[in-house]
Amino acid sequence: MGSETATHSIEHIVRHAAHLLPAQGPIGVFVHHNTLHAFQHLPFEEGVLAAARTFGTEPYLDEEAYRAEMRQGRIQASDIDFVLAGEPNAVILAGRLDRNTLRRSWLVGDIPEFDAATLDWELEESRLSEEGIRKSFDVCLRRMGGSRHREADLMRASATLQRIDEVIHPWLIRLCGSYLDQGMAYWPMPSREDGFYRSVRDLLAPKGMLLPEGLRGLDEAFRKQAAAGWGAGQVVEEMLAELGCDESQWEHVVRRELLALAGWAGMFQQLEQQPALAPHVRLCCSVLDYLAVRLTLHVVARRNLREVEAATAAADEGRVAAARLGVVARELGLEAEDLESLPEAGFCRLADAVAQFDGLERRRLFHLAYERRHEQQVLGPLQRFRSAGQLAGAEGRPAAQVFFCIDDREESMRRHLEEVDPAVETFGAAGFFGVAIDYAGIDDPGAVSLCPIVVTPQHAVREKPAEGYREQHGRRKAARRFLAQVLHNGSVGSRSMVRGWLATATLGLFSLFPLIARILSPRVYGRLRDQINEILVPRVETELAFTRKGNETVDGLAHGFSVAEKAERVAGVLKGAGLVRNFARVVIVLGHGSTSINNPHESAYDCGACGGRRGGPNARLFAAMANQPEVRVELRRRGVEVPEDTWFVGGYHDTCSDGITLFDVQATPETHNADLARIHGSLDKARARNAHERGRRFEFWRGGSGEAALAHAEERSEHLAEPRPEYGHSTNAVCIVGRRASTRGLFLDRRAFLVSYDAGEDPTDEYLARQLGAVVPVCAGISLEYYFSRVDNERYGCGTKLPHNVAGLVGVMNGHASDLRTGLTWQMVEIHEPVRILFVIETTPERLLKVMQGNAAVREFVENRWIRVSTMDPASGRIHVYRDSVFEPLATEAEELPAVASSMDWYRGKRQHLPIARIGSLQEVA
Amino acid sequence: MVSSELILGAVVALPGLVFALVTMLWLLGAPLKERFVVIVTAITYSVAVLGVLALFVEMSSQGLQQILASFGNWFKLGAYEFPLILKVDRVSLPFAALTVILTGLVGAFSARYMHREPGFLRFFLLLHLFAFGALVIFTAGSFDLLIAGWEFVGLTSVLLIAFFHERPDPVSNALRVFAVYRGCDIGLLVGVVVLHHYHDHVTPGAAALVSLLFLLAASGKSAQFPFSGWLPRAMEGPTPSSAIFYGAISVHAGAYLMLRTRPYLEMAPQVAVLVVAVGLVTAVLATLVGRACSDVKTSLAYASVTQVGVIFAEIGMGWETLALVHICGHAAVRTLQFLRAPSALHEFHQLHAAAGGELGQTGSHYEAFLPVAVRARLYRFALDRAHMDTLLDRIVVAPLVRVSTLLNRTEYRMEGKPSGARVVRVPVAGEADA
Repeated sequence: MGSETATHSIEHIVRHAAHLLPAQGPIGVFVHHNTLHAFQHLPFEEGVLAAARTFGTEPYLDEEAYRAEMRQGRIQASDIDFVLAGEPNAVILAGRLDRNTLRRSWLVGDIPEFDAATLDWELEESRLSEEGIRKSFDVCLRRMGGSRHREADLMRASATLQRIDEVIHPWLIRLCGSYLDQGMAYWPMPSREDGFYRSVRDLLAPKGMLLPEGLRGLDEAFRKQAAAGWGAGQVVEEMLAELGCDESQWEHVVRRELLALAGWAGMFQQLEQQPALAPHVRLCCSVLDYLAVRLTLHVVARRNLREVEAATAAADEGRVAAARLGVVARELGLEAEDLESLPEAGFCRLADAVAQFDGLERRRLFHLAYERRHEQQVLGPLQRFRSAGQLAGAEGRPAAQVFFCIDDREESMRRHLEEVDPAVETFGAAGFFGVAIDYAGIDDPGAVSLCPIVVTPQHAVREKPAEGYREQHGRRKAARRFLAQVLHNGSVGSRSMVRGWLATATLGLFSLFPLIARILSPRVYGRLRDQINEILVPRVETELAFTRKGNETVDGLAHGFSVAEKAERVAGVLKGAGLVRNFARVVIVLGHGSTSINNPHESAYDCGACGGRRGGPNARLFAAMANQPEVRVELRRRGVEVPEDTWFVGGYHDTCSDGITLFDVQATPETHNADLARIHGSLDKARARNAHERGRRFEFWRGGSGEAALAHAEERSEHLAEPRPEYGHSTNAVCIVGRRASTRGLFLDRRAFLVSYDAGEDPTDEYLARQLGAVVPVCAGISLEYYFSRVDNERYGCGTKLPHNVAGLVGVMNGHASDLRTGLTWQMVEIHEPVRILFVIETTPERLLKVMQGNAAVREFVENRWIRVSTMDPASGRIHVYRDSVFEPLATEAEELPAVASSMDWYRGKRQHLPIARIGSLQEVA
Repeated sequence: MVSSELILGAVVALPGLVFALVTMLWLLGAPLKERFVVIVTAITYSVAVLGVLALFVEMSSQGLQQILASFGNWFKLGAYEFPLILKVDRVSLPFAALTVILTGLVGAFSARYMHREPGFLRFFLLLHLFAFGALVIFTAGSFDLLIAGWEFVGLTSVLLIAFFHERPDPVSNALRVFAVYRGCDIGLLVGVVVLHHYHDHVTPGAAALVSLLFLLAASGKSAQFPFSGWLPRAMEGPTPSSAIFYGAISVHAGAYLMLRTRPYLEMAPQVAVLVVAVGLVTAVLATLVGRACSDVKTSLAYASVTQVGVIFAEIGMGWETLALVHICGHAAVRTLQFLRAPSALHEFHQLHAAAGGELGQTGSHYEAFLPVAVRARLYRFALDRAHMDTLLDRIVVAPLVRVSTLLNRTEYRMEGKPSGARVVRVPVAGEADA
């Protein structure tokens, strides 16, 4: 039937338009991804422009920001020259001027930007009032054809749409919020199980509703739809028809309607694609439903709207262009007389060249220069470091080996650990440590996936009380339940009328105690709370259930792992990191996560490799598996020589409070107590130093000892008012895949993801392919999300978090009725340098190209330049940079590699990003 | 020994002086560091808390009913004089104590919360001015003086709602709140004029009129029926200002005015009944509305209004002591809840986990007895915030806009000038998107 195919096609159109919506799910689990995933098929510089046109966003920082970087030397003239050398050149005035000279003078010179609104003032009073400039301006204006008024045709249309949005958004936002609510409202929305469109229609159709002026007749419109028995798809079509659109306009209108509240529409899309993302209440969501409701409101609002007021302003583009040309020409040494005497063709070419070099184009070149300087600052010192001396080979047996996540925040932790105890070796592996699990801790309400989001776990692992603790755990569980109900009822009741009256009029004043304690001394409050918890609900010893004997299943998944599966995972991580022999007596495996309050974005600070969750259980499981004798046998068969006297210990690093917990320490053989004590002590010292180094970025902290820094870090994670619990990935810029020996002893300023990989142990490039397959999407996702949230914080990001309001437990709004804000807060990105992440991979260009061919996702990132890639030759340390599909040897200007005795000597008293330096004390050991 | 009059004067003047001095320094171009502002704030409210404590000790040890401090007349105009008299009694003191304690705490909170925010100084200046205004309200010895404080509180409230003035929403919402405030302030102003007219011998009729006018003013400030609609709009500002204004002090200022109106209410029992009615209607409507709110700040806003409604009813009944205790307890609870609002997600997940994933289903007490259709209608009623803004828009705003548009056009026509804005026909969608 005709209408069937039509419905099919409207669904197709909606699906197609919806791929532009933000891909952020409920905020409780925050996974970083490329904000412009929909444009990734285009080269970066085209993609950001296309997105800017579609969304009305900024593709780069503004010009003034780049000029400020230039004044500070962060961009240099040589960077501009380098970038221009890669751009097509053309003659403008034969023998006098070419395109690149023009562009260079414009970028390097201090040429101001003008706009139509202030131009007359500039001419009379300010920068253009000088005689010479006035003359040039007059010549240009005359020769370019005088004033060019651009009548604002679109203003009337956009004023209408804006007015309609103002009418329908408060209602639509409230309806969306109520429908998607995960347990915030006392009353859930009625009949949600029928889907958004049906439940809204059922709610609003009955007669007797008092509606706002602008939505008069909405109930009748819904009644009509109900009587006709339309489904959502049909409603969309009918409403589009009512708006007077023919099918050729559908796509355009649908896209506009979806993007008007992209955050809410995007949430419908996310929950449509993955209903399991809903943290508490599974909902039946569909973008089509959303659109049906939205368009119905739109149609009614438009019917009620008789007239709108539109401001009529017309900009005189001609005068602005003339002013710009005049100023640029003078910068190039062309005065008014020279301009006057130019032949017509020359003058036109000059005017065109100036017009083509518009703001976007200038910012693009500035940005490339900005990234080029960063590349120099990183690759130069790295290559120099390698060329300076022989790489440190393994001398004797290390005191301990510690695995960290590849996370940029662990770079400083590893460096400090190596500084504290130079006999310690560190490694970086993706923080789920090869074990993709469906995990439920003893205190968790249900199981969650602890693995990268692209993986679906096939194995279930459960935490259970250890032998002899079962009874105590039962009591604990009951007590926790009871307390939770009491607190929940208290918080719900305090908002109601009668219970609220009892609560506030009688017990209310007691709120002053937690209020005062939490504001004036959050750490004391936290400690007190923990002590009370320990009395009321004492912790129990636990263990993991992860060994499968036969075919047992848990919740439809395999229960734990067989011996072969365990060995495969342990060997995969160890071999991938290049650790196959010379094991220390103790190997620590640290997962990570972050705890903070006053932070709806808390999960964004957790481990990305664990799908935006905390990676402690993965580390604990990994260590427990690696300690099993039968697994060791299998490991040996796979070429990983773990000696019998090596013991693995799992642990957890809280990157906000810098607390470190080691798991199952009591299970460690007594023979290893001394080894464990040594590394435990070193970790303690290292985390204090780490907190100290983090402290340098916080303006709020006034300095002090390592202990004081640790206390400050703890306070941040407990403080009710702290909008920056930690700076998270704020400074990420680099990812180095290679042996630690290539970077050990370098101060990388918490800006580099460090992935352990040894090309020498990987002749078939199998592990390189695996590492890149996992690491490139994760790191690129983080880097690009930070990039876009930084260059346009209000639209790609979610603005300052200070007015944020948690909506329905799925996201944040500004105030009481705004779009659901997606992306990162200003507080997360304020110190971020927006550059595409720079990969340095320790392999040869040939081997890397081969691996890239085998992975389409990685290839897309690289070939479309959404990431920057370089290789470091494993043998010689020579660096090659990927440009325009080929690897070119790195051309360095002489980059300094300063040497200092310790990390603290390098960063003390400085807040800004620091260049790479060589930390001396380590160098001696190496 | 410093006299208690002086202490009273100092406590009230302190935030005002700090506001004036810091503003002067700022206007003179002094580079004011965040730390300086924070320390000044801490000292100000520590001193103020001590001052209020001293007043409390003085009053309870000496068994004083009130302390009066007279600072002469502000100005004199014919027979009218504007006396600067401050007064604390057992109604004022708790309010003054709440103001200095909670403003101090919110100041300490904001030192962190607002750190590095471009409007940091502006926020603190407005906070001081607000505290000054609130203290003037609570210690004013005359209604004339009370109006001054009342306006400071209203102004700072509106300016803090519009704190993020680079976005349009906060500004337009602040404007709406401002309009409601101004509209309702007419009640206070006219009421004071009426009082002056009757001077010392207020008749029962005049008492009823004054009480009614003050009830209008109090309902506006405390978001009572039918003005509750502005409160959620006030959530555009930074969290700590939402806490101090709409959880703690400003929202109770109307209740304070009603407490001060008690003598007239006693003369006009029919208006006292109206106060009870307004309070109860507000409480019932707001608690219904609050049940359908799915975002944390709006939900807290309506929770606030609910209890303030109950407080109005208590005052109307003449239970002053109960009302005072209720106000203090409510302010403390709500401040903490507002300050915890950004942590709502964290706390909910923790509770949810502790409860083993089974937090009791809410909304199934007496609702279960209602038929499904009634429940749905009730929900719809709650979702439109009890239709309060819809009604205000239709009954008050729309006619006002029509009249002013007409006047505007007439004026332009008479002057023969084209209007600054052009009124155009609404295009159909095809044109709109072409």
